[in-house]
Amino acid sequence: MGKLFDPALIIEYAPLILSRLPVTLLIVFWAIVGGSVLGTLLALARIHKVPFLNGAAVFFISFVRGTPILIQMFIVYYGLPLLLMYFGINITRWAKLNFVLVSYALNNAAFLAEIIRSAILSVPASQSEAAWSVGLSASQTFRRIILPQAFRTAFPAFGARVINAMQDTALAFTLGILDILGQAQAIGIRTYHTLEGYVVTAIIFIVASLLMEHTFAFIERRRLAR
Amino acid sequence: MISVKNVHKTFGKNEVLKGVDIDVKRGEVVVILGPSGSGKTTLLRCINFLEKADEGELNIGDISVHFRHATRQEILRVRRRTAMVFQSYNLFNNKNAIENVMEGLVTARKIPKGEAYETAKKELDKVGLSDKYNAWPSQLSGGQQQRVAIARAVALNPDVILFDEPTSALDPELVGEVLSVMKSVAREGITMLVVTHEMSFARDIADRVIFMDEGAIVEEGLPRDIFTRPKERRTKQFLDRILLKDEYVKDDYAI
Ligand SMILES: Nc1ncnc2c1ncn2[C@@H]1O[C@H](COP(=O)(O)OP(=O)(O)O)[C@@H](O)[C@H]1O
Ligand SMILES: [Mg+2]
Repeated sequence: MGKLFDPALIIEYAPLILSRLPVTLLIVFWAIVGGSVLGTLLALARIHKVPFLNGAAVFFISFVRGTPILIQMFIVYYGLPLLLMYFGINITRWAKLNFVLVSYALNNAAFLAEIIRSAILSVPASQSEAAWSVGLSASQTFRRIILPQAFRTAFPAFGARVINAMQDTALAFTLGILDILGQAQAIGIRTYHTLEGYVVTAIIFIVASLLMEHTFAFIERRRLAR
Repeated sequence: MISVKNVHKTFGKNEVLKGVDIDVKRGEVVVILGPSGSGKTTLLRCINFLEKADEGELNIGDISVHFRHATRQEILRVRRRTAMVFQSYNLFNNKNAIENVMEGLVTARKIPKGEAYETAKKELDKVGLSDKYNAWPSQLSGGQQQRVAIARAVALNPDVILFDEPTSALDPELVGEVLSVMKSVAREGITMLVVTHEMSFARDIADRVIFMDEGAIVEEGLPRDIFTRPKERRTKQFLDRILLKDEYVKDDYAI
């Protein structure tokens, strides 16, 4: 069985593990896109105190923030089919990845909702009034004036959330997803060399996080320059 | 052109407008004067439905609406016939100067972008900002921002432009440039309802002056009549105070 820790294996495993990076990024992508759309709706429900939806949003957000994502994922994986079955929709043949995407999107929606909500509230009412006064409707005002300004305010927190979301993907392997961590795990089981694979994933996470951080900081500087 | 009748507005227990009637004819420039807190801002905001008046009606062109019962559609129609210039300019912070002027044209009035761009350019040129098309609001002085705001209002070719103390947030040395733009807007024959304490504007440009106090119109008339022989004691007191301050301000900067 050889050495317990063989640095050469890091080089050998790296391409294998790196080849699963698209899966990780796919999860991050849909988590953030889905989370942003749903998060905006949650934020609007809360800001306009929409009856029932506001309460539901408050409950959902504190539930998500108060429970580990692993549990949320299991609830979606085992619970969503039952729930949808009730409405006559059968998703028992769904790929596991779909459940992961839904879980992470829901999870991020809760965090993004709070970020988006406070950013929307930070746009002065006078901006809406100016928009109405030139004849924009409520939804035009929101899309063209409020949301772009809110997005700017939210941008740093948004960037931090994307990086968090990426690190959160580290639990997707528990449903058997072959992302970078799932691949490291699989290699470990096959070869009894677990640590080397994890070192590779750690390096990938660090590099990706730093890249994202710098990209966001760069965009931020460019936007603030005006 | 535009008339409001019997406008009432109460905030909590504070009755801010107590039945105001105003009639502005096409092309007329009407200045509203009055002490702070007399309800001038609230009146303009009610006309543009930024506040919901408790009572009264509004006629503008062929539109006739009750303030209290106006539907969302009617409110939008009124807003597309009017424009407003705010005390604090309120330019869209996510848009540069020319985009600020284009926004209402393109998004609300569905005017093709190219045409809107030409209109916006023309209006910015008229307010003396031909070198600032692409400037962000944060890169403009208060006077320049307010000139963009006026261009934004005029570009919409509204039935009336409502001005709410357009110069009172400005540094004294920037007041002149905004007033002269307002004067040229008035000379174009655009209907204007202007709340201002700038006596020179009221005296030289207004067709009519309305004096408001405590939520009601106290008196109205030609500028020279109001300024030289006000009928009401409250008008006289107010004018004395303002003119005194004006003189004081002038002395202060006349070095
Ligand atoms: N949104 C509001 N809520 C409560 N009171 C208000 C509000 N807006 C204005 N007021 C009150 O209405 C009165 C008139 O205000 P305003 O119309 O701003 O007067 P002006 O513009 O003549 O100075 C003031 O007493 C002010 O405190
Ligand atoms: Mg006021």
